[in-house]
Amino acid sequence: MSPNRRERALVRPHVVTGGRARPTRNIFDLVTLVMAARSEVTGLNPEKRRVMELCRGGALSVVEVAGHLGLPVSVTKVLLSDLVDSGHIVTRVAGPVDTGPASTLLLQEVLDGLRARL
Amino acid sequence: MSVLAEFPPAGVTGFRTSPLRGMERSLTLSSRLKDLRERYMSAVAFVCLTAGLLAAVVLLVRQQQITSRLRRRNAALEEMTRVRDEELGYLVRVRVPALADFFQGKPVEVPGPLNPAFAGTSTEQGIRAILGMFAEYAETAKDRADQAAKVTLKAMMRAVQSLTNEQQLTISTMQERHDDPDVLGGLMKIDHMNAQLGRRAQATSVLCGSWPGQQRSAAALVDVVRGATSRIRDYLRVQVQTQANLAVVSRVVEPVVLTVAELLDNAARHSQPNTMVEVNFRQTHNGVAIVIDDAGVAMDAEELQRAERLLSGRESTDINRLGDPPQVGFAVVGVLAARYGFRVSVDSRSPYGGVRAVVFLPSELLTRVDTEPAPVHAQSLPVHTQSRPMRAEPRPVHAAPTPPIPPTPALSSEWEERPVTEWEERPVTEREERPLTANGLPKRRRVTPTGEQPVPSAGAPPSTRPADEIASGMGAWQRGSRAGRVPVSPESEGNVAE
Repeated sequence: MSPNRRERALVRPHVVTGGRARPTRNIFDLVTLVMAARSEVTGLNPEKRRVMELCRGGALSVVEVAGHLGLPVSVTKVLLSDLVDSGHIVTRVAGPVDTGPASTLLLQEVLDGLRARL
Repeated sequence: MSVLAEFPPAGVTGFRTSPLRGMERSLTLSSRLKDLRERYMSAVAFVCLTAGLLAAVVLLVRQQQITSRLRRRNAALEEMTRVRDEELGYLVRVRVPALADFFQGKPVEVPGPLNPAFAGTSTEQGIRAILGMFAEYAETAKDRADQAAKVTLKAMMRAVQSLTNEQQLTISTMQERHDDPDVLGGLMKIDHMNAQLGRRAQATSVLCGSWPGQQRSAAALVDVVRGATSRIRDYLRVQVQTQANLAVVSRVVEPVVLTVAELLDNAARHSQPNTMVEVNFRQTHNGVAIVIDDAGVAMDAEELQRAERLLSGRESTDINRLGDPPQVGFAVVGVLAARYGFRVSVDSRSPYGGVRAVVFLPSELLTRVDTEPAPVHAQSLPVHTQSRPMRAEPRPVHAAPTPPIPPTPALSSEWEERPVTEWEERPVTEREERPLTANGLPKRRRVTPTGEQPVPSAGAPPSTRPADEIASGMGAWQRGSRAGRVPVSPESEGNVAE
């Protein structure tokens, strides 16, 4: 997989996913976090191995995984849902769940930051 | 003259005899003389006759000889005319058609004269000269026609190739833009067909003496084979069995992809749809072999011979002789192998009863590839520990300083042992020289932990942090959350892939 966008990808998405376009589960959005749950990668295709390598260091969002693989996000979702099915990765929903003093503080930080920039 | 001696001279006896006796005597004498003359005459006649006869016999014999000689000559001439006629007929019926067949590419041998005795004659030499000239002219005409066809075809294929390339780029862009599985499914199908179309165009232009086009950077052997798989109809039947941590140098990536694609296509097309086509890599002393096995029908001796001839790439390919439907596969592979210095062979030694094709890439066409790229650590966001919003922590927005994030329970024990500090200790000093996007936002990039950088003071209150650092963190977070709500754009700003 070449990350160079100008160069056409050598391995086309239909080979990467085995011709499937629909993820087995509809649990991913762009910022869903994925983490490796198992370390063994035998029997996985090169892209899935790469996903496992990427996720070994912690959690990554779907869009980041797609970026590193140089694959479209929709194709990455197919791969990730396969990996979830096989128990290789687990997912987490990203983003703040509650609003409280923490987020007020955060908003203040954002404001400070923006002021500093502009 | 014994006859004359019997008579005494007339003077001695004549005057003393009587007249009667004398008459009688003279009568006797004259009869004797007559007799004598007759005898003489007959002797002369005999002699003449004998001489005449002798002469006649001699002449007859001579004539006989001349006649027989003439007859022989006549027969020989007749024979020669017959042979010549025969040879002419043979020339028209067999030799010229054979020559014509030879120029049409049929594996025939142009025969010599029918009669071996005819070989040395001047007529045969003349015929040979005519045939030679005919062959020469035919060859020239064929070459010229071939060249013209190749040039035309090459120009046409170049247009088709550039269109398929453009189309592929458009498809890739659309694949990135559209998230709907239905759209993606359709795009994948189009992409697949486009890849096959591109391969056909590429193969044809290679046959016409063109380059395969498309420069690529060095690619892993597995990717090369899978890239080839992308371009054939039955791609789902191809199984890559083994791994090889070798890569193909950039110069030959596209040729090898095309070669493997043609061989895979051949293997898939000549085997049952429910069988698999297996690809294995076998490392050898001075290179690596890509072994393609199918479980289809084996090739017979004649086909193998033809394949071997084509794969050697020694003979120039005649695009007028590819058959209908055109069998370009082996011809293309042969041309590429000869041009780029790898070897391809086919035989019927496949363990599955089909054909085994082997592409041998010598070491000079190979390079090493790091199969274990440095793992991308989870913190690719250039933000401070506290403001890392989308990491392993399920509730990431904590203003208060937090201890190093404990491993998530979902991770296996193996992962729990991972030193968490490793990704805490990333080089914060890099912040300043980080490239900025057009809008002034820091670009995200993979950070390699060095462990030598000063640990950021985890306990420092947020307000003491430099404003630009906060801004960069917040900006990243903001973009992340915004990106989560809108469909992804192809050039999502700030993602620098390295």
